[in-house]
Amino acid sequence: MTDQKMADDAPLLEVANLRVAFPTRTGMAEAVRGVSFTLGREKLGIVGESGSGKSMTGRSILRLVPPPGRVTADRLAFNGEDLLAASPRRLREIRGRRIAMVMQDPKYSLNPVMTVGRQIAEAYRVHSKAGAAEAKRRALEMLAAVRIRDPERVYDRYPHEVSGGMGQRIMIAMMLIPDPDLLIADEPTSALDVTVQMQVLAILDDLCSQRGMGMIFVSHDLNLVASFCDRILIMYAGRVVESCRASELHAARHPYTRGLLASLPRIDEPPGDLPVLTRDPAWLEA
Amino acid sequence: MTARTDTPSAPRPAGWRDWLTTDTPQSRAQARLGRAWAGWTAFRRNRLAVAGLLIVLALVVVAALAPVLAPHHPYAQDLNNRLMPPSAAHWLGTDAFGRDILSRLIHGARLTLMIVALVAATAPLAGLIIGTVAGYFGGWVDTVLMRITDIALAFPKLILALAFVAALGPGIENAVIAIAITSWPPYARIARAETLTVRRSDFISAARLQGASSLRIILGHIMPLCVASLIVRTTLDMAGVILTAAGLGFLGLGAQPPLPEWGAMIASGRQYVLEQWWVAAMPGFAIFIVSLGFNLLGDGLRDVLDPKGD
Amino acid sequence: MIDIRNLQVRFGQGADAVTAVDGVTLSVREGESFGLVGESGSGKSTVLRAVSGLNDEWTGRIAVAGMEQGPKRQKSFYKLCQMVFQDPYGSLHPRHTVDRILAEPIAIHGLGDANARIDRVLRDVGLGPAFRFRYPHQLSGGQRQRVAIARALVLEPRVLLLDEPTSALDVSVQAEILNLLRRLRAEHGLTLVLVTHNLAVVANLCDRLAVMNRGRLVEEMSVEELRRGAAREPYTLQLLRASQGYDRATAESFRDYA
Repeated sequence: MTDQKMADDAPLLEVANLRVAFPTRTGMAEAVRGVSFTLGREKLGIVGESGSGKSMTGRSILRLVPPPGRVTADRLAFNGEDLLAASPRRLREIRGRRIAMVMQDPKYSLNPVMTVGRQIAEAYRVHSKAGAAEAKRRALEMLAAVRIRDPERVYDRYPHEVSGGMGQRIMIAMMLIPDPDLLIADEPTSALDVTVQMQVLAILDDLCSQRGMGMIFVSHDLNLVASFCDRILIMYAGRVVESCRASELHAARHPYTRGLLASLPRIDEPPGDLPVLTRDPAWLEA
Repeated sequence: MTARTDTPSAPRPAGWRDWLTTDTPQSRAQARLGRAWAGWTAFRRNRLAVAGLLIVLALVVVAALAPVLAPHHPYAQDLNNRLMPPSAAHWLGTDAFGRDILSRLIHGARLTLMIVALVAATAPLAGLIIGTVAGYFGGWVDTVLMRITDIALAFPKLILALAFVAALGPGIENAVIAIAITSWPPYARIARAETLTVRRSDFISAARLQGASSLRIILGHIMPLCVASLIVRTTLDMAGVILTAAGLGFLGLGAQPPLPEWGAMIASGRQYVLEQWWVAAMPGFAIFIVSLGFNLLGDGLRDVLDPKGD
Repeated sequence: MIDIRNLQVRFGQGADAVTAVDGVTLSVREGESFGLVGESGSGKSTVLRAVSGLNDEWTGRIAVAGMEQGPKRQKSFYKLCQMVFQDPYGSLHPRHTVDRILAEPIAIHGLGDANARIDRVLRDVGLGPAFRFRYPHQLSGGQRQRVAIARALVLEPRVLLLDEPTSALDVSVQAEILNLLRRLRAEHGLTLVLVTHNLAVVANLCDRLAVMNRGRLVEEMSVEELRRGAAREPYTLQLLRASQGYDRATAESFRDYA
């Protein structure tokens, strides 16, 4: 994606001062504290450790934060449309059809008592007026698009009968069949082996560039995000502490990012103590 | 996301509330009490559960202080005042022998409490032992114990209790034994289910890797995790136990006259229920309130003790 | 220190039987830090569990500290060889305080002086006495893993088996635990066997490693060779490339090595 091309398209997603708060016994606790970014038709990675608020950010875009959590923002717009003001009905239309989400473990996100083929077909029929035969045809097409070798046979399989990598590819097929504009992937490959991870990412890469989709890739794996995405946001304690192009990650400026990069073990480095990240309380305010 | 330091909190905790809620307890006792306190504050937030607890506590207090609280002697007959409606002299009226119903109810609370306590002390314990042993060892031990449990479960509780009482002779002690003997199977099932869930956990593997014997693992690791479900189930079952005892009393197989057992009181009031409704209705209300109290308490305990919420 | 010959582990019966470990032979020298690497289903954890004594349905030969081991272990074995598990949230009993968790092995083996031992081992893993009476839910993931390591060390073993000890931890916490393990190994002269899917962790903590795939040992090499990328087997090369981040071209070339 060249800068010129991105400038031609209006931003797909605009987020300004996003805040997600939950009531606790000691008052409101904010999981996300003022996150702002725009997304074009590119791959944006959001990286953070547990408790950084990265998953909550992804879910709040789809308005999937359950009450009593509260989502507020100065602006949360998808293709120019205000998501905060949208009615529940409009949100249901957008979810799945225009914005899709892939989650971490297909064991938990696929319905265990339905065949996978039927689930994909149903995902298609929810967002279009197609009949059963047409939906099945599209589902088989989609299974082939995620490089499943025997779509006919896999169509009739149940989720527990397929491997992790295949389950995740089925999840992707199900989410991409309505042809959305934006895909939010929350740790989509964390439960997979490294080689399978690469294959699933290759599928995501191809599908996103073929369809001109935007993607938000939420992960804790800094190296993976740096090699897969175009831009990266680093989150800490609910805030974005660093925003840079993936290729420029090594030149990151914020001490948290530098600390995180330094504490990663590397194959090509000799054994020895890894510098330990010391958390500066000032980062909570940065 | 601030790191936890490992120096103890600097100023000394002020007051017992801080002592209980500190996150650096200094002794086993402090840690345990702190945990109990956390459980109590969670429980306290549920008003209905507190109401249930108050009812149960009231039962205990009434039973303990029965001779002091009762205005009349429960066996004192006054045949001139038979079947009198509630009045200033007899707040809940009198029964067929002129005995004060309120006093009989108060003394009957002792019997109810005794029944409840005896069953609660025996049946869940038996069920816990059988269930954990079956669940932990698996194999033929599990099969044998569970088939015995299935057979015991297949008998309707009341009929089996009737059979025991018929064999052992009527009387409140035998009724309690009969109820306890027939109540343990559900507890065994619950304990076994919990054991199966926990059996493959890493902390059990770690205990085995230290050379812990099966007995140590069952007693120290598995049973504490089953206790929460069992407490909840026992509390909820208490209502049923009271009703079963009342049923046996109603059939004349539990408490014998003149014992003021609530079920027996309903039985003797049966024939007057149209004209002198209070003779049967008052003990009925008592049973209703106490059963309700146990149910509310049990629901509240479940919300607090649910191990998956940890 | 650890000698494994032709280890076979099968699960299930008859036609449904799955061979988790298929004839694995390897040895670990005393004081060495050995990495056992593989993807899921490779059998690496199964090998570790067979060595630790948790799994008693195996055939072949396992010798630890020169002594042949049978399916059932003697109590004295557990003073020699201990294990640290992957999930810090599942390896500590939710109702036991740290004190109770650490006192138990001492009680089981009748070692005296519980107080001093517990204090010493807590300090050894970088937790102070303030943590002694906490419950697991009052500890962070890294702290729980330290307690798990303390529990393994309280019996003063010579061999420490670690099953993915840092996989469930945040990156910054992982660095602390790796440093801790390195220090403990040096101070106590431990032999470490580390099972992991993460080659970078192996490069940081181990001297030698073995790669497993589908129950078979694919390749053994020194960490020096790993760093140079001098792997001989295609499966190992593929694993190395996949560990270095996403690359569209190489993702295309990945094959399923049975």
